[in-house]
Amino acid sequence: MATTTATITLSSADIMDNPISISNTSTLYTAGTNTGITETTGLGRKKFATSGNVVLLDGGLTSGIAADVTADKSAKVYLKNMNDRGDGTKFVNILLAAVEIGRLYGGDWMFIPWCAASGKDIEFTASDATETTIEYTCFYE
Amino acid sequence: MATTTASITLSSSDLLSDNLSLSSTMTLYQNGTTATGLDEVNYHRVNIPTGTNFDLIEESAALTEDASYVYIILKNTDVTDYVKISINAEEIGRLYAGDWLFMPWDSDLSAAANDSSIELEAFTHEAVVEFALFHNGETLVTAADS
Repeated sequence: MATTTATITLSSADIMDNPISISNTSTLYTAGTNTGITETTGLGRKKFATSGNVVLLDGGLTSGIAADVTADKSAKVYLKNMNDRGDGTKFVNILLAAVEIGRLYGGDWMFIPWCAASGKDIEFTASDATETTIEYTCFYE
Repeated sequence: MATTTASITLSSSDLLSDNLSLSSTMTLYQNGTTATGLDEVNYHRVNIPTGTNFDLIEESAALTEDASYVYIILKNTDVTDYVKISINAEEIGRLYAGDWLFMPWDSDLSAAANDSSIELEAFTHEAVVEFALFHNGETLVTAADS
């Protein structure tokens, strides 16, 4: 088995009266075990220039980059909008199927579990058609 | 304005044939700005029983069309414990014991969205969950006796 860790640190010296510093590390295990996840899509980079909807990870398919992800387990997905922040108005809407999760502005990242069931695609829609670059990786069993 | 940063490091020495080491840091800015940080935060710890899908973070008119970010961690230690995280009946995925997530969130009160609240259901055992919402304002409920 492999040992893969994900560490997050959230910190601010001035959002509250006292500084906050939240830090946690999780080891990526297969569902319900202490066995490390052993598969990954690897780190990918995708450029697109459309304001239309784009499917990044297609849940439940029998082919394609996400085909081996077992549904309803402990898959994790990392996404980052590699664009510059610009004027702060350009973003990428991240969706799970047709449901909007939230906006990744230039430089923003997210790390979420993914159920990967049929139809539970991870999709994005850019706020305009200028070129956007997304980096992503998926850890799965 | 406040300055809040979120950093991630993904690392492994044996998942691939070469070391994996990925790091990224972002500053939590308000929508449509380049240097104005989010000013407000809610930070909670709750014990959530099994058997019911709860609204963990409720949608709010003041949070629509904006930049909000959510952090959730399952503090349980039994590896069989997990929670399902959903939005509008769409399951995002499962957090097992010790797992965390960090994601943007766009509270959407449109009819099409139906319900953009972030939902959580615990399985196997009661879930001990810590979560934070970094945001730019929320609509408080008027006191019933006001």
